Amino acid sequence: MNLKKISLLRITVILFITYALTTGFTFYCAADDNKTFTVGFDAEFPPYGYKDESGEYVGFDLDLAEEVCERKGWILKKQPIDWNSKDMELKTGAIDCIWNGFTMNGREDKYTWTTPYVDNSQVVIVKKDSGIEDLSGLAGKTVAVQSDSSALAALTGDDATEENKNLAASFKELQQVGDYNSAFLNLESGAIDAICMDIGVANYEIKSRGNLFVMLDKHISSEEYGIGFLLGNTELRDEVQETLWEMLGDGTFLRIAEKWGLESSVCLSAEDSYIDNTSMENSQSLIERFLSISKQLMGGLGASLAIFFLTLLFSMPLGLLITAGRMSKLTPLRWIVKIYISILRGTPLMLQLLVVFFGPYFIFGINTPASYRFYAVIIGFTLNYAAYFAEIYRSGIQAVPKGQYEAADILGYSRKQRFFKIIFPQMVKNIIPSVTNEVITLVKDTSLAFAISYTEMFTLAKQVAAAETTIMPLFIAGIFYYIFNFVVAFVMEYIEKKLNYFR
Amino acid sequence: MSLLEINNIEKSFDNLQVLKDISLSVDQTEVISILGPSGSGKSTLLRCMAMLETIDGGDMSYCGEKAVTSVSGSPVYASKAQIKKIRGYFGLVFQNFNLFPHYSVIKNITDAPIHVQRRPKSEVYEEAYILLKKMGLEDKENYYPYQLSGGQQQRVAIARALSMKPKMLFFDEPTSALDPELTAEILKVLRSLADEKMTMIIVTHEIDFARSVSDRVIFMDGGIIVEEGSPKEVIDNPQNERTKAFLKKMSVNS
Ligand SMILES: Nc1ncnc2c1ncn2[C@@H]1O[C@H](COP(=O)(O)OP(=O)(O)O)[C@@H](O)[C@H]1O
Ligand SMILES: [Mg+2]
Repeated sequence: MNLKKISLLRITVILFITYALTTGFTFYCAADDNKTFTVGFDAEFPPYGYKDESGEYVGFDLDLAEEVCERKGWILKKQPIDWNSKDMELKTGAIDCIWNGFTMNGREDKYTWTTPYVDNSQVVIVKKDSGIEDLSGLAGKTVAVQSDSSALAALTGDDATEENKNLAASFKELQQVGDYNSAFLNLESGAIDAICMDIGVANYEIKSRGNLFVMLDKHISSEEYGIGFLLGNTELRDEVQETLWEMLGDGTFLRIAEKWGLESSVCLSAEDSYIDNTSMENSQSLIERFLSISKQLMGGLGASLAIFFLTLLFSMPLGLLITAGRMSKLTPLRWIVKIYISILRGTPLMLQLLVVFFGPYFIFGINTPASYRFYAVIIGFTLNYAAYFAEIYRSGIQAVPKGQYEAADILGYSRKQRFFKIIFPQMVKNIIPSVTNEVITLVKDTSLAFAISYTEMFTLAKQVAAAETTIMPLFIAGIFYYIFNFVVAFVMEYIEKKLNYFR
Repeated sequence: MSLLEINNIEKSFDNLQVLKDISLSVDQTEVISILGPSGSGKSTLLRCMAMLETIDGGDMSYCGEKAVTSVSGSPVYASKAQIKKIRGYFGLVFQNFNLFPHYSVIKNITDAPIHVQRRPKSEVYEEAYILLKKMGLEDKENYYPYQLSGGQQQRVAIARALSMKPKMLFFDEPTSALDPELTAEILKVLRSLADEKMTMIIVTHEIDFARSVSDRVIFMDGGIIVEEGSPKEVIDNPQNERTKAFLKKMSVNS
């Protein structure tokens, strides 16, 4: 059959499956009484939801959920989820809600929300008569934050906004303090001019210190937690919301908050109203979404291609060197190389990437520059693939008949000539099928770069999928990988044909 | 001066002694046939002389130059450079040709003279075309080995060996992988080489050919030279029982 026809057929089938799955997954199970209520949460987010020493899932949010279920007569199911898959979990009805210190800001339109119940905003406290009115007034001042706090992260952390980084840069000094008590004493004495901290703690401190201090209106970061339901699932949301208000009314809510030390952060209020996003339906057509998602993924495709080509460029020659060591007459060298190959092939590439990336710091205490992330990906992939290529080369070399070596020796070729002129070309022909396999695997393996948070196409697809609450990006990524591999297979077939001039 | 002189060659594989005290001297233009049953050590002897195997005892010299000397019973090979030089004195033609499959016929013949001997390309090609013509392969220069018959491949292999201008040629059953008609092709080539006074040592099972082309016939069995002499002596009038039995078997088979 014609090659083009097959490819068209395949792509059509994949498009169809993509369409069927993306639309077919958009359903949810209607809630009814005495049902199970499945809460999805990230099990690594204390104190909201995490695994304690005994292996139990516990936390503020899980306690609240437990109480809600008790009052509604539901059976609670705690479902730890992969944070990147939360939307798929919700869409498929595998979970009923995301209840996990779930930040509402920026996600207002993507879920049906309860009212916020925790306010985690970072605010600035100054002395009442300091004359500092807004954030720009902090320029040239000494500002304190607790070490390792959210406020510090918001100002200088990896995810800090440009605005906040500039703000922090405008300070005379950003002082880190151990505890808030001394911070407030310093503020009162004038040794420092401002403190950045959680709004909950700030409110508590201001009140308990007799209103000597004020909070600036503009927050450095605002973050409120709510419970997220599938967009449109107001029925279930209302039931949970009303139960929460009931718990607020009889003091249960505050009691649970105190248990987890969150009494100053909670902000649940019966006066808050819901975010109105009922009219927020996706108005884009399927084709439009397809194109816009494809465009977004193109950005990651570049990174995947870079990993792919650089890995091939470095690992193929390195593999040859390793083969030389593996077939060396020096027994110790041969053993070292054998162990190298055994480890690199016997452990997950993902783990190797982690070792390459974090190793310099944790083993040698070297601080690596930000650009090292990409180098680590290339180094990790190269080391791993070189081990595989080395073994492929070796089998290709061993498949060359002994008579070829003897004929070359009789004709007086040097060892180097014998290898590069006689053995190598025959090896190349022998290994084409195995190399094709390996290269195709590499195309798909590029996605493992996510292990050290390098954003290539698949990572991007997961991010887009999370942001747009659809799994379409994953399928489009799948199509991209397939096309990529189709080209690879085509090229390898071409090379194989080219090498058919001898047998 | 003899082109090749070997004395008291010993060769074992693991615990199996394959060559036991073999001595041989080959004069210029001499054609020697080696006969003997399978497993008697003929190939091993040829491969030792071609230095594809190392010997365990004895000495070897080529054109008066020492390749291996025997120092208090154990063999010592000459320097690398010396061995390299001596390698240029002989060629070997294999039973299964061992042409380079990724090289065309002409490249198989010209590559070593150009890149090993570093002779001028034009001269090498000129001679290669003459060799091809002599082998009856003038129209096959751009063919690849897999496109040729066994007989043609063996003729290319002979041309390849000759292109290095060796002083002597070793043949290890050059026709054993070939059909009878193709065998005749190769034997014709060998005969014409003998007519041109090429020094040759040929391991063969072609008794009639050995009789008509050889100056000397060697019969080997069990790793030793059992009988040696002119074809008339060894083939037509063997003295040793083992030689008689072998020749009888061969004539029954053919
Ligand atoms: N590389 C080797 N390793 C072990 N034994 C070998 C090797 N080559 C040859 N032999 C053995 O040496 C003996 C002689 O072999 P060979 O010289 O090929 O005999 P011939 O060519 O006369 O048939 C045989 O028993 C064979 O099995
Ligand atoms: Mg043999």
